[in-house]
Formats: sequence, C-alpha cells, structure tokens
Amino acid sequence: MSATSPILSAVAVTKIFSAGRGRDVTAVQDLSLDVFEGEFVCMLGASGCGKSTMLNIFAGFEKPTSGAVMLRGKPILGIEPRCGMVFQSYALFPWKTVRGNVEFGLKMQGISSAQRRERGAYFIDMVKLRGFENHYPTELSGGMQQRVTLARLLAADPEVLLMDEPFAALDAMTRQVMQEELLRIHEASGKTIVFITHSIDEALILSRRIVVMSARPGRVKAVVVNDLPAPRHVDVQMSPQYNALKMQIWNLVESEIRQHDEATRRLSRTDE
Amino acid sequence: MRLIWLLSLSSVAMVLALWAVATGRGWVTPIFLPSPEMVFQEARLVFLSGDLAQDIAMSTKRVFGGYALAALVSVPLGVLMGVWRPAKAIMDPFVSLLRPLPSITWIPMTMLWLGIGESQKIAIVFVGSWIYILLYTIESTKRVDPLLIRAARNLGASDLALMWEVILPGALPGILTGLKVTLAIAWSCVLSAEMIAAQNGLGALIWRAKAWGNLALVLVGMVCISITVLIADWIANRIERLLLPWERNRRV
Repeated sequence: MSATSPILSAVAVTKIFSAGRGRDVTAVQDLSLDVFEGEFVCMLGASGCGKSTMLNIFAGFEKPTSGAVMLRGKPILGIEPRCGMVFQSYALFPWKTVRGNVEFGLKMQGISSAQRRERGAYFIDMVKLRGFENHYPTELSGGMQQRVTLARLLAADPEVLLMDEPFAALDAMTRQVMQEELLRIHEASGKTIVFITHSIDEALILSRRIVVMSARPGRVKAVVVNDLPAPRHVDVQMSPQYNALKMQIWNLVESEIRQHDEATRRLSRTDE
Repeated sequence: MRLIWLLSLSSVAMVLALWAVATGRGWVTPIFLPSPEMVFQEARLVFLSGDLAQDIAMSTKRVFGGYALAALVSVPLGVLMGVWRPAKAIMDPFVSLLRPLPSITWIPMTMLWLGIGESQKIAIVFVGSWIYILLYTIESTKRVDPLLIRAARNLGASDLALMWEVILPGALPGILTGLKVTLAIAWSCVLSAEMIAAQNGLGALIWRAKAWGNLALVLVGMVCISITVLIADWIANRIERLLLPWERNRRV
C-alpha cells in the first residue's frame, strides 16, 4: 500500500430513506471523499444536509443505498469498531463509573483487568478526569461527560475517530476548552479524525481540510484546505488569513442555504 | 420535614381517637366495630400464643415461594421476548388471554390438580404474579436506549457482552420496579387463596375469626397484613438501592 492511499474513503455514496408514504428522502447523493492517515477533516454543513448520515455510514450503523465506504481499501459492511464514534449526546453507560466506561472497549477486546486499569487510567489522565474515576456519569457536568466519551473511545484505540457534533451541547467556554483539548490529543495521538460541525469557526480552528456539504441531498460542494498555522490557539481567529478563509466558506455555505430555502418553498407551493 | 412527620402522626392519632370515642360512647356497637382496646387485647392474645407469628411465617413463605418462582420464569422469558421478536410472537397470544384472569379464578383448577396443600398456595401466587413481572420485564428490555446499544457495538461488544453489559443493566431499574409492584399483588393472591382453603396463614386467620364472629381478630389480621407488606416493601427498596448504585443520586 502506498503512502498516499486513503485510510477512509467514500465512493459515490448515495443514501435514500424511504419515508413510507411515497416520498423518499435522499440524505446523501453521490458523495465521494478520501480521508488520509492522521488527517483532521471537518464536514461542514447546515442541519439536515446528511452529514450525520454520512458519519453513520462510515461507522457501519447505516448501509449506503448505493456506492461504498472503505477502510484501508476494504469495504465496511457492518458496525466497524475500528471507526470509533463520539456521539453528540455522549451515550455513556449510566450504570458504569467513569472508569467502567473508559475501560469498556478494552474489556470487549478481552484485555486483562490489570492492564485495563492501567490503560484506562492513562486516558482518564489525558482528559483530565483523575479523581473522578468512581463517579457515575450523572454526577458529572456535560463537558466532563464528553471527556469521558472521548477517553472511552481513545482507550478502545480505533483507527479513525468519527465525531458527530460532539461539542454542540456544551456552553461556549467549555466548548473552546474541549476544542483545544482535542487538538492536543490529535497532535499527541496522530489519529485520523472526521469531525462534523455546523460551525465555521469550529471547522477552522480544528481541521486541516474542510468539506463543505451542499444542502439536502448531501453532496460535497467544495473542499477547502485550511492552511492556518498549527498548533492553533484561539487567537488565530484575529488573523486576516482566518477571516479570508471564513469569508470564502461563508459564501459557499450561504448560497447553499439560499438555494435550499427556495427549493423548499417551491416544493411546498406544489404541495398546496 | 419534621412538620410533615408531625402532620402524618397527628392525623393517625386523630383517627385512633375518633375510633376510641365512637366505640367508647356506644355510638357504634362492638358487633360492627370493636374498640381499639379490644383489638389490642386480641392482638396480645394471638401474639403471645405464637399463632400470629406462625400465620405470618406461613403466608410469607407461600408468597416468596410463588413469587420467586414467577421471577425465575418471567425475568429471563421477558428479556428474551424483549430482544427477540419471534419469542414475543409465540408468547403474546397466551399473555393476552391469561392477563385478564384474576388469580382467584385459578383456585378451582389448582385445587383439583394440587389439593389444598402448600403447592396449591404457591401455584396461586405464581399465576397471579408471573404475568406482571413478565410485562414489566419486556417493556424495560425494549426501552433500553438504542444509542447505548449502538455505542457498545461500536466499541466492539459481541452479542453476549451486549446482553450482559448493556441490555440487562439498562433494563434492571424497570425490572425491579415491576418486581416491587408485583410483590403487593403476590400478597393479595396468597390471602385470597388462604381464605378459601387453608389451615393457617393470615388469610385463614381472618376467615376463621369471621366464622367465630370475632371482629377484633379480623382487624388484627388486617393490620398484620398491612404491616407485613410494608416491611416487605421496605426491604425491596433497600435491595433496589443496593442493586442500582448509579440511580442513587437521581432520586433525591
């Protein structure tokens, strides 16, 4: 395998949900994308543009109607633990403590409890939750719960991290802290990350490449290379380069939203 | 908090006082309602003779026999029906047909099959409680958050691990609620069975007292039932707290 072959790729993926009474919904249409090892890619789009559907297809939760997704050149056919998912609503096991949650993936891999304890502690440390090992998720704040989810996934050691608007439910300050944490973790672990967001700022701070999605059906509208200097800090947002990129992306997104609105209006008019 | 206690306590005292006055002044004849002292005297008598303790023990034994058997059958069956549609399809018609039947309707049949011994009482408790445990278990198994199942699969859980690590603990709070609700139902089953055919037990005590026209003893039996069920419920709550440590801080 050559160094330039992608770790994760979508090949002409289309996903149609049949909505019962006739009208099918095309969530994703003819989407192709290559993600390379160690890359941090953001998929950016308005709500309902099919970006979550695409992530679910990468994780193997959903099957594409046509096309294929590949991990290291092999098609993903079922739920794929090598593509680990961070859910927006955390999805922590409420009956397990922080430690129990973080060690879950290791336990599933059949790793001995002593080793689990050691590796679990390492990742609990990494997300700065030492001292909270024996707490249950309901005893933690939203930001802390999201850190547990992150630690749980990192401990399971997947090859790709899929993140579905993981910080959307957090307050602005916590979100900023989590973004910097994630950059640090990405830097340290070298994991490939596919991150979904509808925030241009978030995409610009985090990623190296931004995939702008078109409104429904979801397609790749444009791929913008984010060459802001790394390691990044929040003050990168003051630079003219940042603003130029933001403007460029905003123009792409805005035209999409306009078109989508008009299409919706036309559709509802024909309905009447 | 103390005010609440005080209120509850004084309302009980009020009713007791009213009772004492009504019987003491002869507003009600003892044939229809014996005085509190008469009930207390009666309670002392049966307590000292050891009959009361034996009746409580007998009823408790029957309840737990039938109830444990029902839980043993219904919890696994309910989980199976919750996760596997064919099992539910096979069982559903029987559940629908059996659910409306009160446990006393089973008394003639069980007496014919099992006589009037212990096994018949246990059978009545069983038929009266298994269906509720089953229904609660099915519902709570089906309600386990599908996102958690997805997350577990994504972290590499096998079918067996999924069952053990996610579905069972996820359904446990609901299953325990069902078991608690059913406990009171099981008690009412045993009492009706004992009233119809039994030598001992709290239900038999009440029925015997009625035959002798001893209303005070009937009341003793009724109070004993209340207290025993309350204690059983208290124990069940302790066990629940022990089994669900993660729910502790939720229910303040």
